[in-house]
Amino acid sequence: MSTNYRRWPTILFLGILTAPLVLMYVYLFVDTITNSPPGSMIPNEFTAEHWRFLTETIPGRPSIWLATWNTFVFATVTTVIVLVVSSSAGYALSRLQLPARSFFLGGIMVLHAFPTVTLLIAIFLILQMLGLYNSLAGVILVKSALELPFGIWIMKGFYDTVPWEIEMAGIQDGASRFQVWTKLVLPQVKPAILALGIFSFLAGWSEFILPLVLAPDNKVQVLSVYLAALIADDQNFDMALFKSVGIFYVIPVIILFVFFQNRLMNIYSGGNKG
Amino acid sequence: MLKPSSRPHWATKSLSADTKTPPEGEIEMGNSKHLGLWLLAPAGVFVFLFFLAPVILTGVFGFTNMSTATGITGGAYMISDTSMRPLRSRYGENELADRLTQKVYTIDDAGLKAALEAGGDAAAIAELGDKFLDQSFDRRRGVETAIKSLSARPSTTRGIKIISAQFERSVVNVRFDSKEDLLVAISDFGIALNEGQTEALGQVAYTGWTFTTQNFKTMIELPDTSKTLINTLFYVFTTLILFNTGFALVLSITTHYMPAGPAGFFRSIWLLPRVTPPVLYVLMWKWLAWDTGFLSVVLEPMGFAPRNWMLDSPANAWTFIILINGIVGASMGMLIFSSAIKAIPQSLFHASEVDGANRGQQVWHIILPQLRWPILFITIYQTLSLLTSFEYILLATDGGPGGATEVWALSTYLKALSNYGGALQYGYGAALSLVLVIIGISVSLIYLKLFDFKNLTAPPKIE
Repeated sequence: MSTNYRRWPTILFLGILTAPLVLMYVYLFVDTITNSPPGSMIPNEFTAEHWRFLTETIPGRPSIWLATWNTFVFATVTTVIVLVVSSSAGYALSRLQLPARSFFLGGIMVLHAFPTVTLLIAIFLILQMLGLYNSLAGVILVKSALELPFGIWIMKGFYDTVPWEIEMAGIQDGASRFQVWTKLVLPQVKPAILALGIFSFLAGWSEFILPLVLAPDNKVQVLSVYLAALIADDQNFDMALFKSVGIFYVIPVIILFVFFQNRLMNIYSGGNKG
Repeated sequence: MLKPSSRPHWATKSLSADTKTPPEGEIEMGNSKHLGLWLLAPAGVFVFLFFLAPVILTGVFGFTNMSTATGITGGAYMISDTSMRPLRSRYGENELADRLTQKVYTIDDAGLKAALEAGGDAAAIAELGDKFLDQSFDRRRGVETAIKSLSARPSTTRGIKIISAQFERSVVNVRFDSKEDLLVAISDFGIALNEGQTEALGQVAYTGWTFTTQNFKTMIELPDTSKTLINTLFYVFTTLILFNTGFALVLSITTHYMPAGPAGFFRSIWLLPRVTPPVLYVLMWKWLAWDTGFLSVVLEPMGFAPRNWMLDSPANAWTFIILINGIVGASMGMLIFSSAIKAIPQSLFHASEVDGANRGQQVWHIILPQLRWPILFITIYQTLSLLTSFEYILLATDGGPGGATEVWALSTYLKALSNYGGALQYGYGAALSLVLVIIGISVSLIYLKLFDFKNLTAPPKIE
């Protein structure tokens, strides 16, 4: 672009700004497999000792594998709920004649913009009253609910781009609207379902505040809460251990980011909280 | 619903490819009005339970004194030191409070039975019942004197004490499920209450939460509130201007003037903080700032003593908080601004170059005018999210040092949900959140105005 201008000054400028961030990420990896002498940032030996948490449970903490399983269940079930509910509600809002349709649409839009974290105290008390406090089921329901306005909005947007002709043809061939949806329209929005699925999974995997407040117990602890509790414990301060647990925690995120970066860029620019 | 035999050719063909199952059960209606409601119903349940109900309940809870002390599901009635204090101070019922907290020793059938079961001397207990039934004593010594006066008195002090212990009667620290139970117990205890006393006791003895406007008075009176408010405004606007829009513009414009390769590289790097889970992202910053961390090690040879750079002064804490939040926030602006710049016709840039425009002029006259709406969008959106999210601050400084970085959203969390402050004040926390909820709803409604709402709600084409 704009070949009349020299490029290297902008690259150099942004490179300098980006360097500290890159440095932080590089050290995040390097520190997990090396030791540095005190007072130096240059590693002098390789070691696997920072990864010992994989085989031995850290005192006072649940097993890392239990936390990993909890996180997996939390992120997966949340994703499934978000996908099922958003793809049906999104279709209804995009294509079907509903009473008070514009009210629903406006409502979803307001909910999408609404900062859900402000409802945390009330949600905490509701879960206490329902007896779902300190359970994975409770925090899964809450997380799914809070992701829904975004999911429905995204799905509605994708349904809007499916040509009406497809549905018209289906109706003319004698299919019901429900069949038209499941057999004709859903296959058209598969990319959207994939993108929303990846996004929801990442959102669930990264979620911290909700499990911290709603399910802090060791038995149902997820990795984010596990890592935060580890860091907050002043007795055993071991930055390399924290980083190793952190890298272990973030492996699925890295994999999904590497493979689906472009899709994620699209969906992130569609607006999410943060 | 069509019968399988009458299923048209396209349906059988796509059947195998379609792995999605319909939500709960078969839907039997061709009428799409009902179908729409069915498809919307699950979302409706979620929205009701976790949006509408919490919004309303935040309002309700904000007007209560709910806390860990009162519990959340309603309470019991109890005479205790805590409940007698307001009885004395607010109602001036000193005498009543004294009498209620007194222990009384009454010789009654229940006590006699209990004394037998406790292994007291049977003959002595029988005689005590004969001679002293229904007599009351203010002190245990009185009961014991009475026992000693018996002809069948137990030979040991222990024998006497076993019996005397069974007659202690008190209403202190007994939980009663209803006010009626409490009043019955008090009249059994031998205290007659007048109407005013009954009323007062009902108020003070209740251990559950009650409705009050005290939270809002406290909010206005506490000096902490205005400090938190100033912190919040400073944090939101500084982060917003410097990073969420400012730095986002820098990123999107500089990458615009790069070949696709480096541009993509830089955008990916700056997207990383948004993708990195918050706990890990903040951990990297802690590593940078810790007293044995990167900054300390690198700056030590230059004469700066190692220290926790994030928490050693309010100014440093704010620098880190704004960097941590701003870099995550900037990535969203970067993506949106970049795609808006991409939408500008290339010919505009070429034409301006032919006319001899430099890059500054291009940015000012071509790019920025095009970004007016995206900037407005980002500004509103990020104002709201900066105002309400506290995740990164909680992880990085937890409001420290000394509350210097405590913003409104964090303070709702600390008051109501964090164990460090002792009792959790749900009611006060809810009152603080209510302020944010109201701002949240108002700003979200502005969204409706900003979007092209008519276009979005264009009616379906098949009906």
